[in-house]
Amino acid sequence: MFLLLPFDSLIVNLLGISLTVLFTLLLVFIIVPAIFGVSFGIRKLYMKTLLKIFAWATLRMERGAKEKNHQLYKPYTNGIIAKDPTSLEEEIKEIRRSGSSKALDNTPEFELSDIFYFCRKGMETIMDDEVTKRFSAEELESWNLLSRTNYNFQYISLRLTVLWGLGVLIRYCFLLPLRIALAFTGISLLVVGTTVVGYLPNGRFKEFLSKHVHLMCYRICVRALTAIITYHDRENRPRNGGICVANHTSPIDVIILASDGYYAMVGQVHGGLMGVIQRAMVKACPHVWFERSEVKDRHLVAKRLTEHVQDKSKLPILIFPEGTCINNTSVMMFKKGSFEIGATVYPVAIKYDPQFGDAFWNSSKYGMVTYLLRMMTSWAIVCSVWYLPPMTREGWWSEEGEGEGHVQRGAAEAVQQDDRWEP
Amino acid sequence: MGNEASYPTEMCSHFNHDEIKRLSKRFKKLDLDCSGSLSVDEFLSLPELRQNPLVQRVIDVFDTDGNGEVDFEEFVVGTSQFSVRGDEEQKLRFAFSIYDMDKDGYISNGELFQVLKMMVRNNLQDWQLQQIVDKTIIILDRDGDGRISFEEFSAVVGNLEVHKKLVVTV
Repeated sequence: MFLLLPFDSLIVNLLGISLTVLFTLLLVFIIVPAIFGVSFGIRKLYMKTLLKIFAWATLRMERGAKEKNHQLYKPYTNGIIAKDPTSLEEEIKEIRRSGSSKALDNTPEFELSDIFYFCRKGMETIMDDEVTKRFSAEELESWNLLSRTNYNFQYISLRLTVLWGLGVLIRYCFLLPLRIALAFTGISLLVVGTTVVGYLPNGRFKEFLSKHVHLMCYRICVRALTAIITYHDRENRPRNGGICVANHTSPIDVIILASDGYYAMVGQVHGGLMGVIQRAMVKACPHVWFERSEVKDRHLVAKRLTEHVQDKSKLPILIFPEGTCINNTSVMMFKKGSFEIGATVYPVAIKYDPQFGDAFWNSSKYGMVTYLLRMMTSWAIVCSVWYLPPMTREGWWSEEGEGEGHVQRGAAEAVQQDDRWEP
Repeated sequence: MGNEASYPTEMCSHFNHDEIKRLSKRFKKLDLDCSGSLSVDEFLSLPELRQNPLVQRVIDVFDTDGNGEVDFEEFVVGTSQFSVRGDEEQKLRFAFSIYDMDKDGYISNGELFQVLKMMVRNNLQDWQLQQIVDKTIIILDRDGDGRISFEEFSAVVGNLEVHKKLVVTV
């Protein structure tokens, strides 16, 4: 036993009291509302305050940069090269003007240097183009006090640095532990809850409990990320026997959608913690988990999904047809597998506001754990979810390749993003 | 994803380490079938390139070993010619080789015609195009051999501050 200093017991007491208070606050303000699905509006207030601070910060930076005559925005930083936007006519005129003194005509029809424009444009495109930009994170117009999003801004004053430091302190020392505690609570409740519900005999009571256990745990997870979600057109929410398709920006999409509706998940069986969660969930209600070997077999996958949707008592399936995580500035072409099953399709569009935290998962840059930590140390995840009107097979042309285009266009229009077709 | 293949550092290019890393990521994104080299189709999968009349010529110029595809070394060496650090003669040689289709060091009447045809397509009649080609060669051909050598080319084009026009900053 080492010698305790006289005021150590005081510190221990204080610690104990503050922990209790914190825990009670947590319970009252976060977990209890999550259980019942109500909200105190604390997160919305938080969001408004943050917006004001960001606007102020950007104003300061612009003012400061003007005073010092610095360049605030790095020039042409879209992509890996600096593109000089000139047109064909301008450029050819310029080259010809600077060149020939020996012209016989006043306006030569052709100069050997005319190819320069095409060469350069071609090179620029080879090195960087619009489509590839979809796969890296979006850039912001105002700085949100996270150093990780500081691509464009070069000049930062002392006051701003202090504010940023304060932000770091709040995010890492206050918000992060809070969020980890909530996430832990949410996940363990999910596992325990679904396992317990699994022991009940099949019937309406089990369904009822399972639904509420799922919803409750997802709501806690949503609060663990401080996700502020606005739902639009909730009357179009997916019903039993349908397929829900959504655009995919990150694994969090699942949590966001599942906290507002009761879905059957589709996915590969994982090991580790994910595997535990998957096995527990499937006890309470029938999700569709595929073994790794089954995933390669398209027909098997289609068969299982078809069986699931044909059973009208089963929950709507949640599918992300883009195939991979896109950076949320546009909607890529949907892969057609999910549309061949022939059930009613409920399209959903999810749009994140990158002001508060960039939810895009660049899987070639960050692993899952790093990604989750980044999420939990951002200010918040703000997003909007649009439930689009359902579509049936009769509602679109049955030619191959048209159905998913229809749905994709609808999704893109809903969130007013680019609609980009792959060649 | 995430595997970084090592590249031979003897590749003569003007790029530093970071730029080569970015280019290699770009190369991997363009290489849709992961064959290790870029075919004409993979280049043409970029919508903006499809409108560029000189794509085939640029690919031919990159493809130094003549196998019809551009591997990573050819890609780096090729794009390096557009680097800010490249010298003027290198850029002029690049422009020259766009015209010089058979790589014999001279732009013949036929080669100039073919390249111009690629650029104007059907907007000019063949005889009008031939007139322009003939006129250009007459004006530029100093030693009277009916074709344009590199020296004659650079004499015309060389004073145009080429190094500003044929530059892409990575």
